[in-house]
Amino acid sequence: MSDLFPSHSPASDSAVLLEGVTKQFGSHLAVSNLDLEIPRGSIYGLLGPNGSGKTTTLRMIMGILRPDRGRVTLLGGDSGGPARLRVGYLPEERGVYKKMKVIGHLEFLGEIRGMTRAIARQRAMTWLERLGLAEWAAKKVEDLSKGMQQKVQFIGTVLHDPEFLILDEPFSGLDPINQDVLEEIVRDFHARGTTILFSTHLMEQAERLCGSVCLISKAEKVLDGNLREIKRRERSGAVAVDYEGDDAWLDGLGADTIERTQHGVRVLLRDGEDPQALLQAAVSAGVKSRGFEIVEPTHHEVDVRHVGEEAAAEAGVPSGYKSMGGAA
Amino acid sequence: MKVVMAVIRREYLQRVRNKWFVFGTVAGPLFMIAIFAIPIALELRDEARDRVIVIMDRTDALYEGVASRLGETIDVERVEFTEGAEALLDSRIESGEISGFLVLDENTLSEGRAVFRGRETPSTLRRVWVRRAVVESALEVRLGEASGAAGARLLLEGGEVDFQTLDGEGADEADRDAALIIGFAGAFMLYMTLLIYGIQVMRAVLEEKTTRIVEIIISVVRPGQLMLGKILGVGAVGLTQLGIWVLSGALLSTFGLPYLLALRPELLELGNALEFLPQAGALGLFLVFFVLGYFLFSSLYAAAAAMCSSDEEAQQTQVPVTILLIVPMMVLAPIIENPHGPLGTWLSMVPFFSPILMFPRYMAGAPLWQVATSLFLMVITIAGVAWVAGRIYRVGILMQGKRPTLPEIVRWVREA
Repeated sequence: MSDLFPSHSPASDSAVLLEGVTKQFGSHLAVSNLDLEIPRGSIYGLLGPNGSGKTTTLRMIMGILRPDRGRVTLLGGDSGGPARLRVGYLPEERGVYKKMKVIGHLEFLGEIRGMTRAIARQRAMTWLERLGLAEWAAKKVEDLSKGMQQKVQFIGTVLHDPEFLILDEPFSGLDPINQDVLEEIVRDFHARGTTILFSTHLMEQAERLCGSVCLISKAEKVLDGNLREIKRRERSGAVAVDYEGDDAWLDGLGADTIERTQHGVRVLLRDGEDPQALLQAAVSAGVKSRGFEIVEPTHHEVDVRHVGEEAAAEAGVPSGYKSMGGAA
Repeated sequence: MKVVMAVIRREYLQRVRNKWFVFGTVAGPLFMIAIFAIPIALELRDEARDRVIVIMDRTDALYEGVASRLGETIDVERVEFTEGAEALLDSRIESGEISGFLVLDENTLSEGRAVFRGRETPSTLRRVWVRRAVVESALEVRLGEASGAAGARLLLEGGEVDFQTLDGEGADEADRDAALIIGFAGAFMLYMTLLIYGIQVMRAVLEEKTTRIVEIIISVVRPGQLMLGKILGVGAVGLTQLGIWVLSGALLSTFGLPYLLALRPELLELGNALEFLPQAGALGLFLVFFVLGYFLFSSLYAAAAAMCSSDEEAQQTQVPVTILLIVPMMVLAPIIENPHGPLGTWLSMVPFFSPILMFPRYMAGAPLWQVATSLFLMVITIAGVAWVAGRIYRVGILMQGKRPTLPEIVRWVREA
């Protein structure tokens, strides 16, 4: 395999390059003029609410859909070309051949990626052993529990030792044990230099795993880049105030969101608003302030600022916070 | 191409290993063979027990006739009538040396009656043989007294009427009937196999779509390759099944039938069935029509399946495709009645109807240029249908939910 396809293409240092990519289904604009570059070796998160165009973007990267406009470059080659044999793609809606034997199913998935049956079988057995499914190899897939079928799906995705993993909402529908298994596999591949791109609508997952993210909403890119840098750039935003007393002072603040915390509130200020003004507002309202801190915005708050409360709410509010309503 | 092979291989092995395929393919012919073989086996067992039949002819006129008629299947021995001969024969039966003896006398000549004595009643078959041999021999002798024995023998063999037509060709009606029957049976088999395997392709496509495995597959395999692989895989299963049946049928008629006839000459009628077996040319054309018809219809069924998200939807969507198969079946009877009338000539040229209608017309002697034209039109149509079906398939297999409307399908085909 690796002789046929040099693992590092000198033409490009990015695993994926999207240039002005647009895809429309009938009157529905799924992806609009998207530019995206995913560096090799990174763990990259494609973030956005449901229906924002994540799956369509991934399908275009895999060459399953052709963009109406723009260019997709995958591992330095055409998407839809032989480059995709070096990719492990786990779609959101992932299936199995229920009537096949586990080992036969995996052999077939290896075979269509150009592996010989013997090698595919050997690798499949190694993986089945690693995930504790060795004695199920000769069973029909439909005889396995849902959790075991999920493991078989991961194995099918990584069987050919891809240099690039694309996982569409990989954690959705997984039981907690398999979430950990998959996370371990992902970290393991990352440690060996594999590029990983995954889509999620859950900020918390992206924050936990990703080095870089691209946030899309309503078919358009909102922002992208290194997660740490994004947070630093957005630093001005959030203030945590612990206080006792009346909440009336919160009305009329220049805030995007105000959330109730255990001892007070967490306020996401609008761009350009001065945190000191907020402190003054609290003091002049006469509330007893016990703490005042400028904090890193959570991903959710970054989201709210860029895609709006509604879309961000769809994506799930991080636990521990309760929204007190939108901007006043 | 390697990828297509992998798809074909999976599709083929999955189906061929299925216990219903094995049952349907192997058990079918085995069952047919068993129907023939079990009585033969029983006869053979009897044969070992039923040894020589002794014939005691008190008329001195019947022995030659009976012996020659029985001789093919049963060993006979002649014994003169003497006092005490019967007792002697009884003891030979006791010892198992002979299976019994037949006494022919004046009653036999006048009324066709005779007596057979044995340890046990012979098998039904033997009773029929013996009775027929006795009666025919008696008839021959009685007729021979009136005219010549040779003339009587010809009459006993059944005679022959030569059917001639006005155009003087002396067309062999038996051959023509055989051709028409082959044509009808072939059309029916084409209908059945195209329907069965077309529906199988539909199910195969639908299964991949509803289980969502298809997205993983087409992230590596081009949709066109996947569709082609599935069609070829299922088609190979169909050819395997047809092949096994044709082969076992051929073996049965080449080796089984003569053997059977040797054992049971009264089944001679079966031998005539051999002339109803198609010749190599007809068999070849049958295969061509199957293959072309299969490509045409399996593409349509694949496209129909790609539009649907559930079995129920697919049941409705396949109706228009299946109607294309049913229409020729509905006009088959009138067309076989009048193969070269305008109805038959024109409908058999419609590519979707050709597989079922042109084969029987060929058997009924349609001009070769018409057969060739229908084949040519089918190939063109297959190319067009495969192109459209491929586009519907490419878009459809990723669509979930509501079935597309006609304008949406047109858009799929245009934009895919």
